[in-house]
Amino acid sequence: MGKLDVKLNKDAEKLTVEMNGTIDEDVDFAQFDLSGNSKIQVELAGVKSINSCGIREWIKWMSTAGGAQIVFNKCPKVIVDQINMVDGFLPASGKVESFYVPYYNDDSGSEKNVLFRYGAEFSESSVTPPENVKDEEGNEMEMDVIESKYFKFIKK
Amino acid sequence: MVKKRGLSIRYKFLLLLTSLPLITLTAYLVLALNIFEEDKIAYVFDSSSSMSGTMATQIKTQLNGVLGTTKPIFQEYLNQGRFSSVSESIFQNEFMLEAVVVFKPENGIYRQVALLEKIPNQTAQVLGSIQRQMTNYFTEVEALRRLVKVPFSDDRVFIFERVTDEANTRSTVFLVIAKMSEVSEMFKAGVSQKMYLIAQDGTVLFGPDGMPGHKLQNAVTPAFLTRGNAQQVAQGAETARAANGTELLVSYSKAGFGDLTVVTTVQKEKALGAMQILIRKSLIFFGILIAVTVILSLFASKGLTGALTDLFAATKKVSEGDFNIRVPVNSTDEVGSLAENFNTMAAEVARLLDQTAEKARMESELQTAKTVQETLFPETRAQIGPLSIAGFYEPASECGGDWWHYCQIGQKIFLWIGDATGHGAPAALITSAAKSASTIIERLNISPAKALELLNRSIYDVSKGRIMMTFFLASFDLDTGELVYCNASHEAPYLIRKGEGPLKKKDLIPLNDVNNPRLGQARDSLYEQTTVQVEMGDAVFFYTDGIPDIQNPANEAWGEREFVKALVAANKDYPSVSDSVERFVVSFQAHRSGAALVDDVTFFMVKREAVL
Repeated sequence: MGKLDVKLNKDAEKLTVEMNGTIDEDVDFAQFDLSGNSKIQVELAGVKSINSCGIREWIKWMSTAGGAQIVFNKCPKVIVDQINMVDGFLPASGKVESFYVPYYNDDSGSEKNVLFRYGAEFSESSVTPPENVKDEEGNEMEMDVIESKYFKFIKK
Repeated sequence: MVKKRGLSIRYKFLLLLTSLPLITLTAYLVLALNIFEEDKIAYVFDSSSSMSGTMATQIKTQLNGVLGTTKPIFQEYLNQGRFSSVSESIFQNEFMLEAVVVFKPENGIYRQVALLEKIPNQTAQVLGSIQRQMTNYFTEVEALRRLVKVPFSDDRVFIFERVTDEANTRSTVFLVIAKMSEVSEMFKAGVSQKMYLIAQDGTVLFGPDGMPGHKLQNAVTPAFLTRGNAQQVAQGAETARAANGTELLVSYSKAGFGDLTVVTTVQKEKALGAMQILIRKSLIFFGILIAVTVILSLFASKGLTGALTDLFAATKKVSEGDFNIRVPVNSTDEVGSLAENFNTMAAEVARLLDQTAEKARMESELQTAKTVQETLFPETRAQIGPLSIAGFYEPASECGGDWWHYCQIGQKIFLWIGDATGHGAPAALITSAAKSASTIIERLNISPAKALELLNRSIYDVSKGRIMMTFFLASFDLDTGELVYCNASHEAPYLIRKGEGPLKKKDLIPLNDVNNPRLGQARDSLYEQTTVQVEMGDAVFFYTDGIPDIQNPANEAWGEREFVKALVAANKDYPSVSDSVERFVVSFQAHRSGAALVDDVTFFMVKREAVL
């Protein structure tokens, strides 16, 4: 078993792809066929990291999906960073349905990932972060990203 | 140093194979010979004792026979005081008897008083010739009552029998002269062994030629002769040394008639003659056995030592540096396995040596590549007009995939930073290609977007899509402070506006208004650019993604949060670019704590200073 675990679940409506692990030069996406689907839902919550070689493989793999509508769910920060930075990482027919935004409290050191969902915390061109994000002890948390950089993909 | 070789293992093996049976057989032979000798001696003793016993019995029987014949004659003489016609008749009919002489003491001297003889006057002549011995004989017969003598070296036996009256006051001595030719011949006939009939003092009565009349002690002195009469046993055997030094096996049996004893002697050497034959034959057999063993050992050892010799020669070759030597594997035993393992080991050593040489060559080439690549980077500190520049670069291995650069074209400063896919030599080659292409592109005096389009084609043609580069190219106008930039999916630099108060995180402005495909992703990609105004005191921080990935010895990544914090802290008071870079380096080195880099670390900072 490689460093990346990919599970495909195909039903009448869509192909669901669930990914867990690390995307790097060792990944072999060729074994996971994306062609022939009208809709693909990619669950990315379990992706831990991705490097430059992994990005190259990802873009090649995504291009095999043809004209399918691809929806990305629960994108972790490592994926959002690549979406923002690498042109083509998010396919032209791709759409982020939900993604995590890291929060932290500098005093207590607590961290939390808050899921931003399309239609709730963000829309086509705007972001509406939650009013208050608190940790388990009630401490107010601040966003652990540079907003103008992290939410860039929404404002494209 | 080659040690002097001792005895070859083949000869040791040979020595072992031959000495083992040799020692074993010798020990066996000595043991067997001892047993054989003891057994043979016992056998000789047994047979000679048996013979001496038989002869003693025969002597006793014959002498008793003679006495038995003459007893009536004695009795009649004692009764009548003369020999009667009956006695005469008995005497004449007994062919063995030559004479019967009667002696009686007279004034202490025995005098002849009666005589029976076959040949007239012969007895007187005989007795006259031994007159002096007769005196001794009478003395002896006084003590022993019965005496047997052979005074001449012939077959005539003189038997003295002393008879006393009832009061034991008057003695009569009868002398019987009898011919015992058969017995005499039997004592002469011995070849392998000699037989003697001796008296108590050792005088030989019958025996081989030359011995009768002499003492046995002249030839040999058995121990039983030196013992007193009381200690003598009836029959026995012993070893004794002859006068000439020959070792003899002696056995004896008392005849039970007078003081006669039959003695047989056998030369021990002759008795054990069979043993000499056995030894000789055994030695011949040993010789043949050893010869066969040597021949067989030579064949057997050749198989074993031949393989070992091959191995020895091979190891010598190896010690001389020839690892391509192989030994033939001719068996499946331990030696065969040893040869097989040697071949495997030699092959493995040869492979490792090749690998080491190859590694050394590659390291040398990498070192050269590193030296060459270092020339691709600019001075880390520069001041071009109002623009001050400070940078830092450290590859994760000998060669890196990051590259940064600056150059002035007219009134514009071009600022380049890129990161090839992965790191190491392949990535370094792409950065070299990028540097080469940039040298040409710089001369064209074109916009950042056009420059990246050309650079993209160059990299695509070099890598064929296998290696890509993220890239950020900006041109800073020295006159206007306008910064035109084009991003090819690279980490967006941060614009740090000079503010009134300390710098805060929210003051970092990512230059991400445009983004384009990575260089090398597609040959004909088009690139867009945009413009941002850099005011006096503003700075721009360019970097690659290796910075957040910096790990400490516990493999904990620095992370984007700490990276941003360090960047803000380093520029809190809007210092010079040199100070800013130094502060930032101190921050990440504190986290790194000497750990190896997982990715190349590259960053530089430019700042628009007031024109002096």
